[in-house]
Amino acid sequence: MLGFARPGASGLLKEGGQHFYGIQEAVLKNIEACKVLASIVRTSYGPNGRNKLISNRLNKIFITSDAATIVRELEVVHPAAKMVVAASQAQERDVGDGTGLVLVLAGELLNQAADLLHQGLHPSEIVKGYKRSCEEALKIMEEGTLQVRRVDDLRDAAAVAEALEACLASKHWGAEAFLARLVAEACIQVLPGYFDGSAVNDVPLAEFADDEETRERLRRFNIDNVRVVKVLGGSLSESSLVRGTVLVRDTEGTVKHIKDAKVALFTNDVDTLQMETKGTVVLHSGKELESYTKTEEQILGERIRKLSEAGVNVVVTGGKFGEIALHYLEMHGIMAIRCPSKYDLRRVVRATNAVAVLSLGDTPPSLEEIGSCDEVSVEERGSTKMIVFGQRSDATRISTIVLRGATQNLLDDVERAIDDAVHMFKVLACRDPRLVAGAGALEMELASRLHDFADRAKGLDQLPMQHFAEALKIIPRTLAENAGQNTTEVMTRLYAAHRQGHSHAGVDIRLESGTMSTGSEARGIINANEYKIWDSLAVKNAAIRKAVDVACTILMVDALIMAKQVSGAGSGHG
Amino acid sequence: MSAAPAVKFLNPHAEVSRRGLALHASINAAGGLEDILRSNLGPRGTLKLLVSGSGELKLTKDGAVLLHNMEIIHPTAKIIARAATAQDDECGDGTTSVVLLVGEILRQAERPLVDGIHPRHLVDGIELARTELLRSFIPRVQIAVDRNDREQLGRAVRCALATKLSDDALVAHISDLVADAALIVHHDNEPIDLFMVEIMTIESRTAMHSSLVRGLVLDHGTRHPDMPKDLENAYVLTCNVSLEYEKPELGGGFFYSSAGQRERLAQAEREAVAHQVEKILRLKRQVCDEVGTKAGFLIVNQKGISPDALEMLAREGIMALRRAKRRNMERLVLACGGTAVNSLDDLNPSVLGKAVRVFEETHGEDKYTFVEAPPTARSCTLVLRGSDKQTLQQLKDAVRDGLHTARHFLDDAYVVPGGGAFECAAYQHLQAYSKTVQGRARLGVQTFADALLVIPKTLAENSGLDAQETVLQMIEAHEAGRTVGLDAHSGELVEPLGRGIVDCCRPKRHALSLASTITTQLLLVDELLKAGRDTRSK
Repeated sequence: MLGFARPGASGLLKEGGQHFYGIQEAVLKNIEACKVLASIVRTSYGPNGRNKLISNRLNKIFITSDAATIVRELEVVHPAAKMVVAASQAQERDVGDGTGLVLVLAGELLNQAADLLHQGLHPSEIVKGYKRSCEEALKIMEEGTLQVRRVDDLRDAAAVAEALEACLASKHWGAEAFLARLVAEACIQVLPGYFDGSAVNDVPLAEFADDEETRERLRRFNIDNVRVVKVLGGSLSESSLVRGTVLVRDTEGTVKHIKDAKVALFTNDVDTLQMETKGTVVLHSGKELESYTKTEEQILGERIRKLSEAGVNVVVTGGKFGEIALHYLEMHGIMAIRCPSKYDLRRVVRATNAVAVLSLGDTPPSLEEIGSCDEVSVEERGSTKMIVFGQRSDATRISTIVLRGATQNLLDDVERAIDDAVHMFKVLACRDPRLVAGAGALEMELASRLHDFADRAKGLDQLPMQHFAEALKIIPRTLAENAGQNTTEVMTRLYAAHRQGHSHAGVDIRLESGTMSTGSEARGIINANEYKIWDSLAVKNAAIRKAVDVACTILMVDALIMAKQVSGAGSGHG
Repeated sequence: MSAAPAVKFLNPHAEVSRRGLALHASINAAGGLEDILRSNLGPRGTLKLLVSGSGELKLTKDGAVLLHNMEIIHPTAKIIARAATAQDDECGDGTTSVVLLVGEILRQAERPLVDGIHPRHLVDGIELARTELLRSFIPRVQIAVDRNDREQLGRAVRCALATKLSDDALVAHISDLVADAALIVHHDNEPIDLFMVEIMTIESRTAMHSSLVRGLVLDHGTRHPDMPKDLENAYVLTCNVSLEYEKPELGGGFFYSSAGQRERLAQAEREAVAHQVEKILRLKRQVCDEVGTKAGFLIVNQKGISPDALEMLAREGIMALRRAKRRNMERLVLACGGTAVNSLDDLNPSVLGKAVRVFEETHGEDKYTFVEAPPTARSCTLVLRGSDKQTLQQLKDAVRDGLHTARHFLDDAYVVPGGGAFECAAYQHLQAYSKTVQGRARLGVQTFADALLVIPKTLAENSGLDAQETVLQMIEAHEAGRTVGLDAHSGELVEPLGRGIVDCCRPKRHALSLASTITTQLLLVDELLKAGRDTRSK
């Protein structure tokens, strides 16, 4: 009868909204949504993970096994699942890699929690148990035995490449060795403090690592200094590394190649000076008109002559070249480059050590403002022209990986993988050089130890703590599943190996694994350390922490109150 | 309803409910709201996930945030929600308590109403009870505290924050920050201005990495790549001067007849700004040369700075921030000292402030500038970090409430025992008082007294305990003369003051008076009218 006479909560709120309360309605439904999300990502986990073809709402097509990309383009709408997505995105921002781990682990933790809820445990008890286990897991990771290696000398390209391999292998299995080498060299080139012309290069490693100042400088390693330029065509193995930066475009004039370049950079147009206020030219006769244009040309011509006299032979502008300016530049044999992207311009600045001057004035840029570059030339890859600012010496502040590949999708995907690897390098350089055994070895070892830890615990916490340990096993299990192995068998063997103290035993993801000589009881598992499958400790640490945090938050939500969807808003936030 | 109510003649589409029905609707609505918020109360309360119309998520445990974001349409529920948010605006805490109290008083009142007591008598009793509590009970139980006791302050803030955030370690960390922040802006004999605590949220790392910066954090960076990004011992010039070419207000025009003239005009345009910048440069040289050390120089300008001017400043090694927010200008001066200048004409070193360190932090596209002021700073910034928007929002709401709590502590300087002990004592007090009340009003006093127990009951419930049993034990202890409250974490009855479970007195007082006011109003409502529009005929 009367809208406001209805009993209960439903009569209080605006119509069209939805609300769910309690364990059955809210908590279990939320868990269900997160499980679905995890199950989507799970099949893409690890080197054998399969790709997903996603066509997003702009009809752009993605083919990738990168979890961060999958969930981003999926545009998840379920509130709880969205929180898991947010956690994985935070991981991406934080350390760059391990997004899949966050999603899969959070999904499995919630899956295990659902079991416990059915048994009648209160969510807050589960949260308590999970948090305790998480603390213990992080503590175990700090122990020395699990850390198999440190990347102390970041100048050692071979060592760095080995460390990055596992990260790249999980995205592009087969090409990891080649890509890792490429990324390692690119990163090392731009490492601050190593090749800055200072003598650090000769400092022995032990002293180097102890030097607080250098470490501080290392922290300034900027991932933006490693660029990826994608050029369609060719094959991945034709990708190469350029010291310096690359602009994918042609020069404006006919000058295409300059050695020992002196570079002048302008952020504004290279043309007659523009004013903020509008002015009006007052002309009284045709003669005045003629002389007006002529004086204009003269001024410009004079300026460019001075530029040339100052030794400049390459001019880069963030704006446009006036036609007359271009004419004079050609006349003096100066290379003219347009660079409309602000970021690209900044990279040229970094590559050439020039200072970007606002605009071309009466006085040419000073000596300090003019940058230098060993070689500026237009190169062709396939049919794509690109301007390469190359430095011969090691003293470059920016390096560029020129990727080749048959399809745009492949290029995009490799670029994402390289981004992850560069991030990982940054983590190794700035945060934590320690590596742990990969291939699921770390997770299995943690699970094995946490089972023991849970056995020792008193009270109701024990149950969620056992489930926490169980949840960690999802990682090796997923690796085995995706590799098409007999999962139960491999998992049993793996667990047994860890119980016997083989703390580096991991899942062998090669389908035909006849290499393990130790007999049939060890088939399907390998020593991750021997095979140099290493993951960064910091990445694992952050991922586990985030997964536990988000799982606990979702468990603590006992009510879901959704307002009516505003029409049109769906396209904005999904 | 057999006969059409009179209002139907006035507006045939109006909805109306009368007398018993109206009261019933109010009681129902209050109860419904109480049920929604019930599970939020206390440190062991659960979270609620709110999804807005545009799909934005909000995670909260805070009653005020919840009420703000739920789209309530029921008239009675709306009144309660509004009153409760008024409590939040005033006190920053106690919102959930108000809703629970209102719901419970009305629920308790149902019984005498069904028995035929006129609402008026109940209202009289409730008012008597309130007056009694405010006049004689609270002055008796409130405990005066020393304003400068940092530990006590921290405890009070921690108790308030424990009900808003779910992680214990985080609560401890954040409440320390909040308490320190409040002490920085607090000065004896002056009302505390919470506005001088800037709250900056940065999406990075985890909430545990939040920190307190003595000074100011601005959410933008320098706009010139060559400017220094890290200064130590810097001079700070706070100004509101336009350092870009401003079009003349007069509609004049520029006329020229040769390119040379045009160039000169363009040049003159730039010189106007360059001239202004020169003045700053002179001041900089004067102070920085005088010191002779590596003193830095920072300019924070409320207006714009043109690219040319930035270039000039960068060459001199000056760090310049443009388009700073109005409110930050005030804070900056309080933090670093000096005066904000509106003209560059008579600059002298006395207008400059000092900063210990100035540095920039970059997160993706976002830049933040940290200005760390000397220890004399009277303004500070709480830098809240978190991995995602929801966490940050939750943290921000909590910090706001924490600051309010600190304000009450410092202004009012009275606390009461928490953990439900206060309510239990009040219940006991009213029980005794009701014996002295003559007539039917006594029922009202009893109603109010019974309703107060909803707080300890709900606390026990949310801690997974048996509510009735716990409350009975608590009452017994109180009758035996021991003040006990519930420690939500251990589930034991403890002496709250000893365990550091305290509440500020003022929000409690406010909540009691607010809850009784709303209920008396709602009890006296005898008709609910809802104007209706003729929509069907269209």
